[in-house]
Amino acid sequence: MTKLIIEKELRDIIGSTKFAVTFSICSVLILLSFYIGAQNYRVAQAQYEASKSANVRQYEGLTDWMRVHSFKIFLPPQPIATLVSGVSNDIGRTIEVRGRGELRSQDSRYGDDPIFAMFRFLDLDFIFSIVLSLFAILFGYDAINGEKERGTLRLTFSNAVPRAEYITGKFVGSFLALTIPLLIPILIGTLFLPLFGISLSANEWSALALIVAAGLISIGVYLSLSLFVSAKTERSSTSFLLLLSIWILTVMIIPRLSVVGADLFVKVPNMDEINSQKSRFMSQIWNEDRTKLNGFTTTNKNDVQALMNEFNKYMQNLADEREKKYNEFAMRLNEDRYNRQMEQQQLALFFSGISPSALFSLASSEVAGTSLKLEQEYLAQSKEYQKEYAKFMKEKTGMNMGGFAMVFRKITDDNAEKPTTININEIPQFTFKPIEASGGIGPYAGYAGVLAAFNLLFFAGAFAAFKKYDVR
Amino acid sequence: MNNQPLLEAVNLSKRYEDGALAVNNVSFFVKPGEIFAMLGGNGAGKTTTINIFLNFIEPTSGEARINGISSHVEPLKAKQHVAFVSENVMLYTNFTAIQNLDYFVRLGGKTQYTKDDYRKVLLRVGLQEEAHNKKLKGFSKGMRQKCGIAVAILKDAPAILLDEPTSGLDPKSGFEFIQLLDSLRNEGKAILMSTHDIFRAKEIADTIGIMRQGNLVMQKSREELSGENLEQLYMNFMAGVYE
Ligand SMILES: Nc1ncnc2c1ncn2[C@@H]1O[C@H](COP(=O)(O)OP(=O)(O)O)[C@@H](O)[C@H]1O
Ligand SMILES: [Mg+2]
Repeated sequence: MTKLIIEKELRDIIGSTKFAVTFSICSVLILLSFYIGAQNYRVAQAQYEASKSANVRQYEGLTDWMRVHSFKIFLPPQPIATLVSGVSNDIGRTIEVRGRGELRSQDSRYGDDPIFAMFRFLDLDFIFSIVLSLFAILFGYDAINGEKERGTLRLTFSNAVPRAEYITGKFVGSFLALTIPLLIPILIGTLFLPLFGISLSANEWSALALIVAAGLISIGVYLSLSLFVSAKTERSSTSFLLLLSIWILTVMIIPRLSVVGADLFVKVPNMDEINSQKSRFMSQIWNEDRTKLNGFTTTNKNDVQALMNEFNKYMQNLADEREKKYNEFAMRLNEDRYNRQMEQQQLALFFSGISPSALFSLASSEVAGTSLKLEQEYLAQSKEYQKEYAKFMKEKTGMNMGGFAMVFRKITDDNAEKPTTININEIPQFTFKPIEASGGIGPYAGYAGVLAAFNLLFFAGAFAAFKKYDVR
Repeated sequence: MNNQPLLEAVNLSKRYEDGALAVNNVSFFVKPGEIFAMLGGNGAGKTTTINIFLNFIEPTSGEARINGISSHVEPLKAKQHVAFVSENVMLYTNFTAIQNLDYFVRLGGKTQYTKDDYRKVLLRVGLQEEAHNKKLKGFSKGMRQKCGIAVAILKDAPAILLDEPTSGLDPKSGFEFIQLLDSLRNEGKAILMSTHDIFRAKEIADTIGIMRQGNLVMQKSREELSGENLEQLYMNFMAGVYE
């Protein structure tokens, strides 16, 4: 019986104009998002390569490693991020690494192309959380009261049809009808990916599968909610208006409000405040060290080379100590800010958890590796790289430069042999290890679990409402 | 033939939430091979009575039984034995006549029919062949009514409930419908039909009941009515002459 109702529901929807419209819109949007995503990826990839070689080129012809003050590293574009961009366009992709000192990322995609920041990218996240949730409502708002208005409920229930089976069939049928305009273009899109010059790793394929799964569950939430509302309201125009309001609230308003709300409860000092505190502290200890310069005494008054070495060593020690102090201070500030930021983030995430579409975005960015963790991960990996870089430079130059160190060097050497150019390619390479889908699986499961719970809750509501529904 | 009543109202009453007493202590039964015509003006309680049989609403007291099964106690079991044609049959406008037939007949538990069976039954109820594979969108009320009757025939239930089934039919179709009812009766169906149409009722019914303000004010068999002027009787009952 349920199967029969599912089949009927599928046929009823697939034969309707709204299905044709939905299918066309979805196909165009999804294929477009794959195409644009692939284009963006290629552009970003080219940019990444260009930046890398430009960075290397600027050191060409140098004869002295001492002249290499810093080395830039770049966040490589990830194919899956073009489908679920998450924060990947908001965070800085470039980090200038010195032998010591704090690392800061800059040059975000949105910083370079503000027009994108204005309108965001067309990606799967957008399609699922905004377009498809709306279609789910469109498919479900009149599931029950529409049948009553059409008069078909009377004839249906003049037969021995259990209500549980009927509402289950309704849900499953319209859910399947919704997956068609979704899965077919996604399938075609993924088949086209290699043609667009993108190949996904096994890890990325599984991320994509998880994203689509989360999308389906979140569509289910809007569908079961629609079923519930349509079994609770007399007229389909009423249920449509009500559901549209809920949609606007959950898709547009709650995610934004949750950030504002979290900001009310937890204050995070902004970066400017922190930076000015840091630089104030730095100039303070720098001034202290300047007075210490007067304390430099030497036993090598005649040997210039030895004197210089001794002075550099003295300065190095000062710099090391200064850096230690500064790092402690900065770490405290950073940690404090980080903790508050995390607290605020958690609160915002908690608030936004009542929005199915926000839950979907969070879940998908977790497995796509484009969640809020991406920036932390990038900084963490660049810190590791910094150590490697510092070690390498120390081997080459005998000291660790960067920060506010001051070094005296003898520039001319009369009887020096002709200087050889350095090979900048000896510098350790930075390779970013993308966050694996498996790394985000825990939070993903959490978000998806909440979505599934919403499904159950609304379906149970629809079920209870329909048990008492007047089918006349 | 088993002569137990297939449709039976036992002291049936329905008072709506707003206090209106729509059906008041009504009792009657319909045996296999019988047609019971329920006459009455608008608001007499005919649809309410049928709705109780279908468990669309619960009786306030008494019960409606189908094949001996109380329809509000075991609705799913009771409904297996009854087919229903409403005053205004509504079907899926996206589906063709055949597709609608197929769906609703399967819903009624009959899965063995072929396309040809559907075609034959639609012809039997008077729906022209060229309409069989057309979507219901453009169908007139009479055409939909015919489809509804076809669904009821194919469900092949021992009892049939008809709520003003002829209201959308033109005179020719109305006449054909009466012949159809006659053949269904000959197949042994128990038929309960509500109608305004005294003449059709007199022509076909084995028993005629007259309802007024929720009361079954008269119930007479064809034999009992043979010498009487039904039209006069009906007018008198409507006017409350016998109260
Ligand atoms: N849902 C309802 N709520 C309250 N009163 C109703 C409802 N449905 C019908 N009635 C009332 O019950 C009475 C009988 O109605 P109905 O059974 O539809 O009559 P008929 O089918 O004979 O025209 C009328 O007075 C009508 O107004
Ligand atoms: Mg009526």
